[in-house]
Amino acid sequence: MDILAAAIFAAALALIGLEWVHRTKVALAGAALMVLTGALDQEQAIEAVDWATLGLLAGMMVIVGVTEPTGVFTYLALRAAQLAGGRPLGLVFLLSFVTGILSAFLDNLTAILLVVPVTLAVADLLRVSPIPLVLVEIFASNIGGTATLIGDPPNIMIGTHRPELSFLDFIVNLAPVSLVTLAVTTAGLALVFRGRLRIEPERALEVARLDPSRDLADRPLVVRTVAVLVGTIAAFFLHTALHVEPAVVALTGATVMLLIAAEDVEAALERVHWSTLFFFLGLFVMVGALEEQGVVERVADGLRALTGESAAAQALVVLWGAAAGSALVDNIPFTAAMIPVVDRIQGGEFDDGLWWALALGACYGGNATMIAAAANVAATGVLDRTGHRVSFLGFLAVGLPVTLVSLAIATVYLLLVHV
Amino acid sequence: MARLRDLPLVDAAVPATATFAEAVGRLFAASVPALAVLDEEGSLVGVFSERDALRALFPEYLGELRHTAFLRDDPAALDRRAEAVRNVPVARFARALEPLEAEESETHAAERLLHSGEHALPVCEGRRFLGMLSIAALCHTRLERRERG
Repeated sequence: MDILAAAIFAAALALIGLEWVHRTKVALAGAALMVLTGALDQEQAIEAVDWATLGLLAGMMVIVGVTEPTGVFTYLALRAAQLAGGRPLGLVFLLSFVTGILSAFLDNLTAILLVVPVTLAVADLLRVSPIPLVLVEIFASNIGGTATLIGDPPNIMIGTHRPELSFLDFIVNLAPVSLVTLAVTTAGLALVFRGRLRIEPERALEVARLDPSRDLADRPLVVRTVAVLVGTIAAFFLHTALHVEPAVVALTGATVMLLIAAEDVEAALERVHWSTLFFFLGLFVMVGALEEQGVVERVADGLRALTGESAAAQALVVLWGAAAGSALVDNIPFTAAMIPVVDRIQGGEFDDGLWWALALGACYGGNATMIAAAANVAATGVLDRTGHRVSFLGFLAVGLPVTLVSLAIATVYLLLVHV
Repeated sequence: MARLRDLPLVDAAVPATATFAEAVGRLFAASVPALAVLDEEGSLVGVFSERDALRALFPEYLGELRHTAFLRDDPAALDRRAEAVRNVPVARFARALEPLEAEESETHAAERLLHSGEHALPVCEGRRFLGMLSIAALCHTRLERRERG
């Protein structure tokens, strides 16, 4: 049975990586197979689902979904482009940091979908290719998302799985290294793309003439939604002191948002990415089956044997292993599978360093290939639909070096600070 | 009971080899918001609507942007796009659509128009194109018939 469970999970990972079938269908089919073959029973399947992760995701989707129509995110992205004043280096850095910050406090998939369309419009006005700018934003979204508990799905899963790790712990331990990584990789990308981002002064003037505030039509609504968004983020910072889980913070924020800013609840709830939630649900059941069948324990034992008792070796194997796995498959299912493995490696002891290694590996690994993170798939999809195709190899040529540099920074950080 | 063949269908069609500019000219002159695009044998290849013309003439990213009040016209870029598509065969912009059958009911046509988001659909008899049925034509006929009845 353990071999069957491992085979179902491996087949699901392969199908998700190859993108032959929608990932949600794969995850749900895999979960159904695990239950039907008896790898885990129905009660165990329900227990295996991390409802806190689903609640946190759903809550944030509602909050962002209600805020987005106000135009506030378009305003931010456009102001960033204007502040660059036609300087390519400034443009790259400002778009990168706005995307990174939005990714840290919304989530990286949402952030990228908010920023990329504005970037396309700006690039069109500047008469430059949008591809370098969007690539910079993709990498920034994955790196920026690493900085907080809510920024990237792997962090959400880790944070809800280990309540010992608060929102503030994520910020303290991951935000500084993410900031350094973002600065270094953005500088490198600006250097690489400088030839493709020559901006003529009169074109920069066209962008400067745009009025970003024109889309903020309903000012009272903007104030209300931004207040709830900021309040929710503040509550995340205080969730330990308030004795509430991050999922409760997100769902409470979503409820307040629906009460004060969403006239049409049905329309607001349509903005929830239901396929993502069902994807997670299927993954949790599959990973539950792996745990139940002892597969997770054997993988953890194998990793322990490989690394001995060396905390440094364990952290580096988790960091680079998570990055490689995320690059090849998708960082969400890989993290879901790795969480119980890290639990087992730790045994009864709690070592936050291994969790930061997993978060950094899974999030940074998401930059390596076009399929490694949901943000990459979504942003390259927008590029494709608007006539700017990026090939798998074209993405890899930039994404892999960015990932290697990021992992090198993470390695140094983990060795210096956490091991 | 009236069948679609009995409704005021508009013979609004262009050959697949017609240029984009010719098709837009035909759309402008016709009283329907979409044209049937036909092959040499008169079979339906697809539909070219006002929305398809709009998509081709204005930047692709408009479909991705939810907020556009900040945008200003960029006449040079718009002129370039217009020149780039002017002589392209309309077949490149046509979308394959399931046509309505001549024997189908008005109610079925109303449902298809509602759910497809199209403002006009082609009506065919087998492979033969009979004409375009617009929402306005369907509604107007219904009112007229009620008044006469």
